[in-house]
Amino acid sequence: MAPIRDKFTIHSKAIVCQDVELKGDITIGSGTIVHPKATIFAIGGPIVIGTGCIVEESVIIVNRRKEVMRIGDDNLFEIGCRVECPSIGNSNTISTRSRVHHTVRMSSHCVVGAGCLVVPTEDEILDDYTVIYGPDAQRRTWSGRGKVQEADLRRKHVEYLKEMLPKFNRLRRGDGQ
Amino acid sequence: MTMDSPIYYAKSEFIETDTGNKVSRRAVIAGPQNIILGGKTIISHGAIIRGDLRRTGPGHAVVISLGRYCLIGEGCVMRPPYKTYRGAFNYYPMKIGDHVHIGAGSVVEAATIGNHVEIGKNCVIGKFTIIKDCAKIADDTIIPSNTVIPALSIFSGSPGRFVEDLPESTQEMVEAHTKQYYTRFQSQPTDR
Repeated sequence: MAPIRDKFTIHSKAIVCQDVELKGDITIGSGTIVHPKATIFAIGGPIVIGTGCIVEESVIIVNRRKEVMRIGDDNLFEIGCRVECPSIGNSNTISTRSRVHHTVRMSSHCVVGAGCLVVPTEDEILDDYTVIYGPDAQRRTWSGRGKVQEADLRRKHVEYLKEMLPKFNRLRRGDGQ
Repeated sequence: MTMDSPIYYAKSEFIETDTGNKVSRRAVIAGPQNIILGGKTIISHGAIIRGDLRRTGPGHAVVISLGRYCLIGEGCVMRPPYKTYRGAFNYYPMKIGDHVHIGAGSVVEAATIGNHVEIGKNCVIGKFTIIKDCAKIADDTIIPSNTVIPALSIFSGSPGRFVEDLPESTQEMVEAHTKQYYTRFQSQPTDR
């Protein structure tokens, strides 16, 4: 296997802490927050993260496939989750300590509950508003109620972190800067 | 190995403060000026403590306060909870009492944890959880956000549910256990 070429493209308005492990070809969009101790590995193809995402501590995002792993806008990856999905839409929440396999493609407004394992053996696309919860990873569809409030909270959260994180943490810049 | 045999650690790995706190050099402590340790508290390696996520506003804000004889296990994440209140987004302080042991790999976003609380390994304690005195959380438990855990109860499962009551003697038992752990936890003697 060819060695992994590192190429980090970090938007000037993204906040990526110094203590973050990056490997491979990674693009991070504007207003995205990456907390310290997160890991983003583009082993196979590149990873492209959109705008306004939050990646918390000890999150692991891995792309083992050859194709580009696209993560949309306004997604929240909570502490210690592990995500290998080849594509993720917008406004999803992946909760604390959950795992999502490379066989799953996520649409928009999905929620994966705390500690859930989403590991189907065959390829699968999660529809919009799917909620996965409980120890057996049961599924339901969210009515979409409170969507505006949720989006508002996410937006304010990003704004807060944008202001506070640089005060206490060193930031990382992309290659081009 | 008996219950009172010492647990040795390499002296170079831990920083000991005047009040007897032992903090691993391999722990990530963000915003240390906003964290209060009560004394004789141990923070193991790989732990992440987020004192930087503070309440907005002027002046000094305490983000995380830990009591005496606490133990933060390996790879734990301690992070204050957040919410919007009256349209303003904020992180809120986290308060932890005395004699609290938190097992390895747990994620804690509680608002308040009382005294003499035991939290197992690989637990997830959701945002704004309130844990009262002498409660116990079993290993691998997931406590959803805004849960209140009453005093002297064991919680377990996903989502965490009440299992049974603990005896009245729990306070003395936990206190003895945490104190003993602290005395057992000592640096490797150099002559070995």
